[in-house]
Amino acid sequence: MSKNGSGSQNAPGREMSRRGLLLGAASAGSMAFDWRAAAAAPAVANLEGEEDAIDLTQSIPFYGTGEQAGISTPMQRHCVYMTFDLTTTLRSNLQVLLARWSAAIAQLTVGEAIGQIEPTRETAVGSDTGEALDLAPASLTVTVGLGPNVFSDTFGLAEQCPPLLRELVSLPSDRMVADISGGDLSIQACADDPQVAYHAVRNLARIAKITGAAITRWTVLGFGRASAGKGQVTPRNLMGYKDGTRNITEPEDFDQFVWLNSGPEWQHKGTYQVVRKIQMNIENWDVDPVSDQNRIFGRHKVSGAPLTGAEEFDTPEFDQTDESGQAVIDPASHIRLASFEHNEGVKILRRGYNYTDGINQYGFLDAGLLFISYQNDPANFEMLQRKLGASDLLNEYIAHIGSAIFFVPPAPQEGGYLAQAMFE
Amino acid sequence: MLQSKASRRYYGQMGAKLAVAAALAQVPLRAGAMQADATAESGTTAAQVAITLTSDNGGTCSLDTNSVPAGPITFTVTNVSATSLTEVELISNNRILGEKENLAPGLPAVSFTLTLGGGTYQIYCPGASDEMQDFVVTGEAAPKAEGGVTAVLEEGTVGYKNYVVGVIDAMVTAVSTLNDNIVAGDLEAAKIQYPLARPFYERAESSVEGFVMEGFDATDNLGNLDYLIDMRESNLDPDAGWHGFHAIERDLFEGGEITDDTKALSAELLVNVQLLQTVVADIEFAPEDLANGAAALLEEVQANKITGEEEAYSHYDLIDFAANVEGAQQAFAFLEPGMEMIDQALTDQVNTEFENVLALLKTYRDDSIPGGYILYTPEVRDSEGPTLSKAVQLLQEPLARIAEKVATAV
Repeated sequence: MSKNGSGSQNAPGREMSRRGLLLGAASAGSMAFDWRAAAAAPAVANLEGEEDAIDLTQSIPFYGTGEQAGISTPMQRHCVYMTFDLTTTLRSNLQVLLARWSAAIAQLTVGEAIGQIEPTRETAVGSDTGEALDLAPASLTVTVGLGPNVFSDTFGLAEQCPPLLRELVSLPSDRMVADISGGDLSIQACADDPQVAYHAVRNLARIAKITGAAITRWTVLGFGRASAGKGQVTPRNLMGYKDGTRNITEPEDFDQFVWLNSGPEWQHKGTYQVVRKIQMNIENWDVDPVSDQNRIFGRHKVSGAPLTGAEEFDTPEFDQTDESGQAVIDPASHIRLASFEHNEGVKILRRGYNYTDGINQYGFLDAGLLFISYQNDPANFEMLQRKLGASDLLNEYIAHIGSAIFFVPPAPQEGGYLAQAMFE
Repeated sequence: MLQSKASRRYYGQMGAKLAVAAALAQVPLRAGAMQADATAESGTTAAQVAITLTSDNGGTCSLDTNSVPAGPITFTVTNVSATSLTEVELISNNRILGEKENLAPGLPAVSFTLTLGGGTYQIYCPGASDEMQDFVVTGEAAPKAEGGVTAVLEEGTVGYKNYVVGVIDAMVTAVSTLNDNIVAGDLEAAKIQYPLARPFYERAESSVEGFVMEGFDATDNLGNLDYLIDMRESNLDPDAGWHGFHAIERDLFEGGEITDDTKALSAELLVNVQLLQTVVADIEFAPEDLANGAAALLEEVQANKITGEEEAYSHYDLIDFAANVEGAQQAFAFLEPGMEMIDQALTDQVNTEFENVLALLKTYRDDSIPGGYILYTPEVRDSEGPTLSKAVQLLQEPLARIAEKVATAV
């Protein structure tokens, strides 16, 4: 980012609308995905409310007495997600890793380096890699998850295992690739500046190696939010549809469906993170008539209204039929199969991002949705996905190719570190 | 990652020191420092110093006392809330006497004990608002150290130099045999001898590169011994043309015949490795050269072996890979007695990661193939590359910290 670009964004109290930000970025000429911004900015800027404005000087505290940041936090524009394999059998190494990660995250979220960038001693290697120097905090959140293998006898942590943590069962239409699935630790770094998010993940990955505790497994760069948080205009996934219209936003729903509030006390306000890398068959989707796309989703593409309504937030009338007696919203449409009305009232929090990996070996655009969900019972995700994987009209255009599950412990308080209680 | 040997100006200082035409620098003498014992003698009551790290002023390092009498002293470090501080050192004349790393809020307190004579020391907390604080020990100064870490490290550099000389001697012998095969026009024998001649340079390369022949400009690759011996096709300098091992590799494994050009390349290689042999006889190393050399060999692995670039025609990359690792391990081994006195935990970590890499390499052994490893074909590279690179990554980070340790040792 040019000096002008970062300087103006760092100006205290200067709020920028998305359009303003994107134009700023375009003039800086180096922010990734300018193409998307340039194409979308004029129309979207008109639709988005003031509450969607970006202020890069904002920071979100890491420490706290409740849940980790990055779950109920209004979604930032960018996300880098990474999982790690443990490389140690020593409990103390895992402990040091979580403590050093916690300290580093506290630094990163306020926009500070994690250590010396240019050490005094010329023979020393830098502690912080430096590429986020002079960038604003950009609402960075880093959310850490613990995979099933953490809670093993190896570390003396088997008895601390959250009651419902386990590997996900195999689900219909799963086409999992081992190299982009699983992991023992996860990091979800979200920010309104992609370089800030990437810097965080890169430096935390380095700490993993410095402590000898873990090594990178797979990563996804999410470049645009594909789900709405509270107060946010519903964004669109790469299929062009609004995603997250019926997402969880209210505290009561978080308490009922997201946070753990029973079991060992140190796990309260924890949650289970389920991640799925969902590849889209972009080229085929783009030549599907919009009427068919609408049928597949059960919504109108532009307005986001259910096919039985006129406005985005109209409640879908799943029982409504047309003159010929056909259901207006197809029984196999995506929104019907995913709706809480057809899933025993169950809701999950979705916090997904669009991703692209370039062009694949067959010459297709390699892109899709990094689906991230939070729920207080992994079985809730499985119930929804079992139904979707079996019958969703959308399955012709998507494939679940990566999957992982983690327990996300609550936030540490200042002076402490993530999941500290399980070591004591 | 340093991608190109031609652009290795990072090691410019070292290269200058080793330049054939230049007088070789002497190993700098270590300043006399206070005697430091890693542990207090049992039965002695050690003076207690509490060091507390907090987030005040962006990171504060405070001592409950900054003056104690000479004798055994235990420093207990607690990180209460300092997210920016991970390290505390006790230093004297810029030499580290004792230290604790990986400090973070919430972890149990850690301590180290030193026996200190009278004098003024410093507590160094990298990144703290009060980064450097004086710490006074009252009473008699300790006698000057007779041996200590410095002497042990210096001894290691001499041992390593002998190792390098031996490696280069062996290379000259192996290259002579390769040259005999090529002069005789025996393609099959040359193809078997090629991998047997390769590992020597890869074991020592980071410690012997940077030689510029007399009369050549530093940027002229025709005067750069490393270029002339080991340049890969991917980094060729068109003005200098292709010389050395890999040009011969191309003829043997890609061209499939020994031409007059091959014979000329081979004769030239033999002359150049013999020249290197004479130059190496006069090298002297400082302890940090060994550490930097070991780290650079691992960079070689990650940049050129993992990718299969090094032996693009013969696919003998795993031989070079193993040789780079062996050379790095040897360099570290000569530092190890000193490193054990400086930082046992880091020493153990580096040793463990070396063992992991070597154990992994063992799974690719195949004694039926010249050189003893399976061929690193594109298929093997695609399936095994990530596993190999990650094992080396876990070794790289701790190893990269050794240079600072040995350069600041007492």
